[in-house]
Amino acid sequence: MSTPREGVGLSGRRGPVRAPQGIAGGILLIALAALALWLTRDLDQGTLNAMGPAMLPRWLAIGVGLSGLALIAFAFIRDGEPLERWSLRGPFFVIVAILAFAVTIRPFSFGALSLPGLGLVVAGPLAILIGGYATPEARFRELLILSLSLTPFCMVLFGDLLNLPIPVFPQELAGLFPAGWSQKAILRATAIVMAAAAIAVFFATRKARPTTIDVADHSGRI
Amino acid sequence: MGDLLSNLSLGFSVALSLQNIGLAFLGCLVGTLIGVLPGVGPIATIAMLLPITFGLDPTGALIMLAGIYYGAQYGGSTTAILVNIPGEATSVVTALDGHQMARQGRAGVALGIAAIGSFFAGTVATLVIASLGAPLTGLALIFGPTEYFSLMVMGLVFAVVLARGSILKAIAMILVGVLLSTVGLDLETGEERMTFGLPFLSDGIDFAVLAMGIFGIAEIMRNLDHTEHRDVVRQAIGRLLPNRQDFKQAYKPVLRGTFIGAMLGILPGNGAVLGPFASYTLEKKLAKDPRRFGRGAIEGVAGPESANNAGAQTSFIPLLTLGIPPNAVMALMVGAMTIHGIIPGPQVMTKNPTLFWGMIASMWIGNLMLLIINLPLVGMWVRLLKVPYRMLFPAILMFCCIGIYSINSLPTDVMFIALFGFVGYTLIKFGFEPAPMLLGFVLGKLMEENLRRALIISRGQLSTFIDRPVSASLLAVAAILLVIALLPSIRKGRDEVFTE
Repeated sequence: MSTPREGVGLSGRRGPVRAPQGIAGGILLIALAALALWLTRDLDQGTLNAMGPAMLPRWLAIGVGLSGLALIAFAFIRDGEPLERWSLRGPFFVIVAILAFAVTIRPFSFGALSLPGLGLVVAGPLAILIGGYATPEARFRELLILSLSLTPFCMVLFGDLLNLPIPVFPQELAGLFPAGWSQKAILRATAIVMAAAAIAVFFATRKARPTTIDVADHSGRI
Repeated sequence: MGDLLSNLSLGFSVALSLQNIGLAFLGCLVGTLIGVLPGVGPIATIAMLLPITFGLDPTGALIMLAGIYYGAQYGGSTTAILVNIPGEATSVVTALDGHQMARQGRAGVALGIAAIGSFFAGTVATLVIASLGAPLTGLALIFGPTEYFSLMVMGLVFAVVLARGSILKAIAMILVGVLLSTVGLDLETGEERMTFGLPFLSDGIDFAVLAMGIFGIAEIMRNLDHTEHRDVVRQAIGRLLPNRQDFKQAYKPVLRGTFIGAMLGILPGNGAVLGPFASYTLEKKLAKDPRRFGRGAIEGVAGPESANNAGAQTSFIPLLTLGIPPNAVMALMVGAMTIHGIIPGPQVMTKNPTLFWGMIASMWIGNLMLLIINLPLVGMWVRLLKVPYRMLFPAILMFCCIGIYSINSLPTDVMFIALFGFVGYTLIKFGFEPAPMLLGFVLGKLMEENLRRALIISRGQLSTFIDRPVSASLLAVAAILLVIALLPSIRKGRDEVFTE
């Protein structure tokens, strides 16, 4: 392949730091080592004959710290890679989506804040809707349809077919159904309602443009 | 020999029960389905799908997991060939020539030869496991804690040598991995180490959570950085079965690839990763016209794919005979086995022969299954690959959350995949490769345990590691490897292999 080797365009840079990525990585390692040393400060190191709990972590932390120092030292001696561009949008929305899932899937309390367990029926769409915005290309309609169709699929797959102990819907929801209904029946009914909603949204918001159906058989001859 | 046959027939009698065939089939199918998704490698796939095996009996669960593993691997190759996005390190090589073949309208042949080569390699590797399993289990008996520790050190050195990029960074990552494994209750004194006083950390960090964060979530974040231009092959897939000419070109690379992959896969320390690279380099060296490589040479798909599959399978050997997981995928297998109450190691074969041989036989069935189900389903995978990433990743994200929550029913686990995802993303951005860290984490607990035991036996004398011959030779191999890897001339060659 004729792709240019990495680092070709770096020669024009000035300053003593020749590998910024190495500096950043080194600082990260040293910080990590310091954290580990601080956390194990009260633990007994013991002797080689009878190692204490702190022996290994402490020596490992020292090793990590030394690697970090070496990385920084090399960053002044040898040319290396520049820092890559960071975008915070992606990680931010992905993390928030995961946290939203974690706090809504079952009853959660943190200090004064407490949330009722809402189950997969809420947690799933939340994760998809929030997570979807991690890319600037996000489109609400697509994400809504995706969340309304994937969630019932997962509910039926994990809750009904595989019997995994994952909370599917809030207990309050059960009150809305006739008393004789089993948990499974409620699950299925909810799934059907959601899937129907997905289809309804799909058709209701479809743009009235000539649909170019992809007739050309991309899947090829088999 | 008679033993081998009776063992294998026992295995096949287990694996060929209707239920287990069904599980192998299902495993291969869902494994491929998830593995095909761009940016989802076998590790994330297995971590995601682990919970669906919980309701099964141990044998069935392991058979299904093995199916998922092979499916995920083959799915990764499919993505590499069709869209030039390798899901993991080992399919990087496949993407080189495979994708070029696809652009020339020979995607079908590339997929076909990959499947056929993998099947052949899988068959050979199954036989290797079956014949080496028993003798190597004997080896485990002469291994004391000292030898185990040295073996794991050697494994980690391998991982350093095999990692891409700076050796220093790889060493740092291994150390960080081992350090992470020491979080939690101390094995002997019961004191809490580095838990921040958080109760859910006292059992240590769950491997599935770490793996899912580093390989699932971080990968999503990384993919989001690049504006997407996915190069899904527009040409027809073409015929799937290679013709006589293709076979003539491909059969020797398949044979050599299988041999190389099977040998390297046995090595602890993720030797299987090296298989495809070694095979590709060898084929290029042996070829009459090396310039064809990178432009759609069928040898460049056949060899590495066979090596990949052979290595994937023989990497079960260290796990099943010595109880040491040689790579992250095998560590997930350990997790799965422990959930079902099986402790991997030499005793599995003697105490639970139906499970052991059933699993080995099902490996072969899994490979056959892949050949049968994947070729007709190629059209479906192509469809799936055309779904834009902006729709795929929220789905992957939700599957990750559900999967990890189902393992322990702990919301904190879900939060931790977000944390480790961000850590993994940061590491990638700083040029660290997360794979060695994961291996360090996998081996960390075992290493500490064995180090302590060895030192208690030797009354605190570190020289025990050199006095005992087996341990000394293992450490010597490790030292030689490290020195060789640091030699400037070899380093250059190594970089070339990886940048190709």
